[in-house]
Amino acid sequence: MSVESIFSKDLTSVRRSGALWGVTVCLALVAAMMAYVNVGRAAPPLREAQNAYGLLVGLIGVLVPIVAIIASYMSITGERASGGIKFLLAFPNTRRDVFVGKLLSRLGVVSAIVLFMFVAATAMTVARYGVFPAGVAVGVLAVTLLYAWTFVALSVACSSAAATRSQAIAATVGSYFVLVILNLTFRFSQVVQLVHDVILGLEPDPHLYAAFDYASPYIAYQKAANLVYPTAMERNVFRFREEARESMPAYLSDEVSLVVFAAWLVIPLALGYLLFQRSDLQ
Amino acid sequence: MATIETHGLTKSFGDVDAVRDLDLTVNEGEVFGFLGPNGAGKSTTINLLLDYIRPTSGSVEVFGMDAQKHPAKIRERVGVLPEGYGFDDPLTGREYLEWAIRTKDADDDPETLLDLVSLTDDAERMAADYSKGMQQRLAFAMSLIDDPDLLILDEPSTGLDPNGIRTMRETVADVAAEGTTVFFSSHHLNEVEAVSDRVGVMNEGELVAVDSIDGLRDSVGGHATLELECATRPTDLGVGSVEGVVEATVDGHTLSITCADPTVKVDAITYVAERTDVVDVLSTTVSLETLFNELTEGGREGEATQEVVQ
Repeated sequence: MSVESIFSKDLTSVRRSGALWGVTVCLALVAAMMAYVNVGRAAPPLREAQNAYGLLVGLIGVLVPIVAIIASYMSITGERASGGIKFLLAFPNTRRDVFVGKLLSRLGVVSAIVLFMFVAATAMTVARYGVFPAGVAVGVLAVTLLYAWTFVALSVACSSAAATRSQAIAATVGSYFVLVILNLTFRFSQVVQLVHDVILGLEPDPHLYAAFDYASPYIAYQKAANLVYPTAMERNVFRFREEARESMPAYLSDEVSLVVFAAWLVIPLALGYLLFQRSDLQ
Repeated sequence: MATIETHGLTKSFGDVDAVRDLDLTVNEGEVFGFLGPNGAGKSTTINLLLDYIRPTSGSVEVFGMDAQKHPAKIRERVGVLPEGYGFDDPLTGREYLEWAIRTKDADDDPETLLDLVSLTDDAERMAADYSKGMQQRLAFAMSLIDDPDLLILDEPSTGLDPNGIRTMRETVADVAAEGTTVFFSSHHLNEVEAVSDRVGVMNEGELVAVDSIDGLRDSVGGHATLELECATRPTDLGVGSVEGVVEATVDGHTLSITCADPTVKVDAITYVAERTDVVDVLSTTVSLETLFNELTEGGREGEATQEVVQ
């Protein structure tokens, strides 16, 4: 019952604070525009409609983590900084209740935002192409929710470990740069390759480098999307030469993306929880 | 049975011991005033009782339960007015109270509580927009929910006007009369003096005195001072020969007499009145404030020593 007490109070306060409403509307508008500008290469409407979701995945990969971070980074740090936590813990709640209640509330909020964005994009797609590519739409929504949750989990974890707002910002924004921006430009694999080939002087191993890229939820999201795309839409996410593509090891298969998500959902939360349990709240 | 019991409780922040080797027992049903200047370790102790912070060493038990192992069970039976709280959520005063009642699984009536702390007219306003005093009253109302077995109040009079302080004092006396143990901290001696059965004085992380108010007063030694204004210069009266008079000095027409204890005052006045015309009598006793300042070495607030005119 006490998780419920934290959860419902937090949800009310997020809903009323209004800060996320603007973000939600903007995101939905951008998603709808994306679906609209997906101009045809004279493909059949169903294919076009499916492509619209492919384009959406590209957008979401970069934007949804930002939304998840904005929605979650102050979840627990805010209560600590303002002294709200003194009341949460003055009543029969434990630190675990606070942690779980906050996590569930923010997961719910971000899920609702993602869902709203999908409704907007789907409405535009259906209006424009006259078809509803149900398989791709539902599949992309599912992997997008997983992707969004990893960033909510990471942000709540950072928030539970950070005593001040600036620490929480540093931790979450830092994570975003490393996990998303870094993988948009050059990738982990390039650093690993440098160390592996040049510094250590070992035989080149492109699959190993790719495995490091795969550790990023951003890359995992692109790979997970392949799971729900029709074969024609599947993309090769790793930057391989032809010969490396032929003999892909099992650990680089699309299914492994789910393992990557699971790790990002569990490990930061576990660490954040342990730190929060041990910290002095005052 | 002890409601609060700490043994060798120590909490360090870096090199500083905020609380050092504290052995404190608060008995069931008593009103315990926890006194000390700012930074003496009062709030740190309370934060340890509530498991907001963790001890460096030693143990804390509330209702015989370890504060770290059973925080939720303890919180079910405790009402808390914490220090450094914030009403930051966009909730109204009434909603905060309703949330607190629901969380405690209690059946208190929000209206009664709002009325008690005179917030009925402001119940629909956001608690974040309240003045400090109103927030303090709301927090106090929240602490009273579900008739707690132990009421912990950290600097309860902060921000309150005299009216609010009186209401709080009366309410504390009421709940104490019904058997609730009250543990409250303050740096205002008169506040503690008025309602406490026992007081503990903290200074620089250590408990320097624990006693009843009367016990403390006795331990001051009961020194009393008399100032007698006489019609003529009261020289060579030999008041020093009266038993119990420690010192006598003359300044103009005023004779100042220091007595070992208050009972000597009458003898001294009688002695002087038999020998000269006494125009006026001013009698003072050493107050608890003086004792408090002695115990806390003037305190960090440097509150001026003030004697109470009787």
